[in-house]
Amino acid sequence: MADEKTAKLEAFRKEVRAWLRANLPKGWGTPEYKVLEGFTQERHDLGKWWTKKCYEAGYTGFGYPKEYGGIERPREEIMVIREEMARTGTPGAPSSLGLLLAAPTLMAHGQEWQKKRFIPKIMSGEESWCEGFSEPNAGSDLANVQTYAVRDGDEWVVKGQKCWTSMWKFADFGILIVKTDLKAPRHRNLTAFIFDTTSKGFERRPLRQMTDESEFGELFFDDMRIPHANMMGEQGRGWYVAMTTLTAERSMGGEQVVSQQGGEIRLGSGVDNLIELARARKRFGKALWDDPVYRQKIAQAAIEEDAYRSWGPAFRAKARKGGASLGATLSFEASVSKNYWAESRQRRAMLIEDMLGSYSQLMSGSKHAVAEGSWVYEILRSRGASIEMGTTEINRNIIAERILGLPREDSAKKAQEK
Amino acid sequence: MEFGLSEEQDMLKTMARDFLTKECPKAHVRKMMDDEIGYAPALWKKMADLGWQGLVFPEEFGGSAMNFRDLAVLSEEMGRALIAAPFFSTVMLFGLPILQHGSDHLKREFLPKIANGEMVGTLALLEADGDFWADGIRAKALKRGNHYLISGAKMFVTDAKAADYFLVAARTQATDDPENNITLFLVDAKEWGVYVGKLKTMDMIRKQYEVTFSNVNVPASHIVGELNGGWQIIKQIAVQANAQLCAEMIGGGDWVLETTVAYCKDRVAYGAPIGSYQGLKHRLADMYMELEHARPLMIRAVEYVREARTDAELAVSMAKSYCADVYEMLTNNGVQLHGGIGFTWDHDMHLYFKRARWSANSFGNPTYHRDLIASQLEKQLL
Repeated sequence: MADEKTAKLEAFRKEVRAWLRANLPKGWGTPEYKVLEGFTQERHDLGKWWTKKCYEAGYTGFGYPKEYGGIERPREEIMVIREEMARTGTPGAPSSLGLLLAAPTLMAHGQEWQKKRFIPKIMSGEESWCEGFSEPNAGSDLANVQTYAVRDGDEWVVKGQKCWTSMWKFADFGILIVKTDLKAPRHRNLTAFIFDTTSKGFERRPLRQMTDESEFGELFFDDMRIPHANMMGEQGRGWYVAMTTLTAERSMGGEQVVSQQGGEIRLGSGVDNLIELARARKRFGKALWDDPVYRQKIAQAAIEEDAYRSWGPAFRAKARKGGASLGATLSFEASVSKNYWAESRQRRAMLIEDMLGSYSQLMSGSKHAVAEGSWVYEILRSRGASIEMGTTEINRNIIAERILGLPREDSAKKAQEK
Repeated sequence: MEFGLSEEQDMLKTMARDFLTKECPKAHVRKMMDDEIGYAPALWKKMADLGWQGLVFPEEFGGSAMNFRDLAVLSEEMGRALIAAPFFSTVMLFGLPILQHGSDHLKREFLPKIANGEMVGTLALLEADGDFWADGIRAKALKRGNHYLISGAKMFVTDAKAADYFLVAARTQATDDPENNITLFLVDAKEWGVYVGKLKTMDMIRKQYEVTFSNVNVPASHIVGELNGGWQIIKQIAVQANAQLCAEMIGGGDWVLETTVAYCKDRVAYGAPIGSYQGLKHRLADMYMELEHARPLMIRAVEYVREARTDAELAVSMAKSYCADVYEMLTNNGVQLHGGIGFTWDHDMHLYFKRARWSANSFGNPTYHRDLIASQLEKQLL
């Protein structure tokens, strides 16, 4: 019985591999393939094209009912698909913000027409989504949102500003959290809406980051009108809609780690490139790799990389045993892996800086830059890792309060009572 | 690779937790800290009745024929309880090498006695320099007919006062390559010329001694493994011992975190439980994060040793280095977050703090293992 099942699954794995070989862009995974860098239209279109292909083959869109465009498959097959895609690496999506964040939020809080209208096109990758959550004065303290909406007949009129929006340039729709009640207490004064990025009164601008690129953007609403029918969940319950999205966001990172194979990968392979760099870089005429200080640090990076990779499979085993649904537990436990990843990545970036020495200053574009400036980019970009998707500090609160069961801080309690 | 425990392993874990809670509470452990031999023979016998000492021995030698992962389940619970018994020495440092490299007659003579709880043994390896390397071994064994005469001074020998037998590493020929002239001998602790002197050590539960051998007579039949082939066996002992040590450290780490979380929920300052303040709860969150990332490395190391994989040594070095760093971090924070009470003799936290130090510095400390890791990674890339 078990053998038959294994054999079937292996046959399926071969099928997925063959499909990937046939459908990935020509030369994918080989040095000849020029990976698209930056946040360009070209790269976005590639992701869209790829998601559609996967959707048509039945390789994405899991976990949703058929009537909303979901695709049903046995869990083992889904794991195989994810593993194979992780192995080859795929062009951008199918892990768009729509699929990972908007769809679960729509499922939990959307009206029936909203689910029918929006989820299928998220699944197929045809429409892209963004989140209008953070503001200049509402980051970790999201409940402090100041963008507000006033009702006018069958519409709401929105005024304000959002920032740190991923996919700001390409999103067709967004989830917007706005204040709709100026008198109601915190957490009960917000409402969620679906907004169309082609609306009048809506404007988007790039947010220039310390990396000198614009992965994130700013959204401006100047009396932008949203139909009342686009409200998600009840009026005044927007905080809870946002919590659903943020929980999905945390799980998203976790899901990626959980689907990894941990022990099956060659030990320490995550630092191959660091060793190459240390062999190539010389200090005072001697290769860094021959210096015990760098050997120690790279060995430590190897350990941390393997610990990070092994966390997922170990968590999977724990969740299976606990009988808890993976998703529910993962929403909190994902904070553990997320913090670890952010801190480990930053330590590694510091090591890279150390190894590059004077060359750590040469950005992409300089003809002397090492590896076209990709290492230097990481020195800058890695600093965002502990801020995006919940700061390290917010995640520590989640770990301490939701997993270890420690009480909330007194000030937080008082703020709640206000 | 399976990260989770089987139903049988879960039962073993529960049974071990219950047994140790009842039979080896901290009051008993503290009593044994001042005890001459450091363990209660009655407890040792009860452990044997549960089949623990012979857990991984085949049935023909009185064992239970269970595997290395099962043994790690026990190690984890023993590390949590800080068991006051020479289990680690007897099984990891003494029984396993006899099982794996001993002649048939040695296996028949020694293994059933270990399994029955009638024998305690340990490894006499390190000498004055205290480092884990072949060159540090200066003890000599001179051949006299069918016997050898062993002379030398061993240091950091665990549970030596409790031991009935020592597995002694001594040089058996004069060559330039110390890795090819070391032999392992089984030496009766009652033999004339064996002197055991207590060392005053930080960890008072897992006691350490200096053992002097002065022309001690050992029959050639008591050689374990090949003549001059001892160092390879010692390396294997270290790999296995480190893997099980990692399990002990994770078990101890669980105790430290649970105890500290409970204290921070309970202790009130400025009108609120101290665990509500971010300055403290963030430390606790980091402790949990580190522990949950050390755990899978430990499991991987144990499983790779069980499967006798070629990369088991690398997996163990990674786990040992990391678990030791994490256990030290946990116990540092455990003391700190308890405040004054955490610095007292009466609180149990210092017992774990001290065990973490012993664990980190036995069979290679984290720096030593990171150096090994770098060399192994280099080999993979060649």
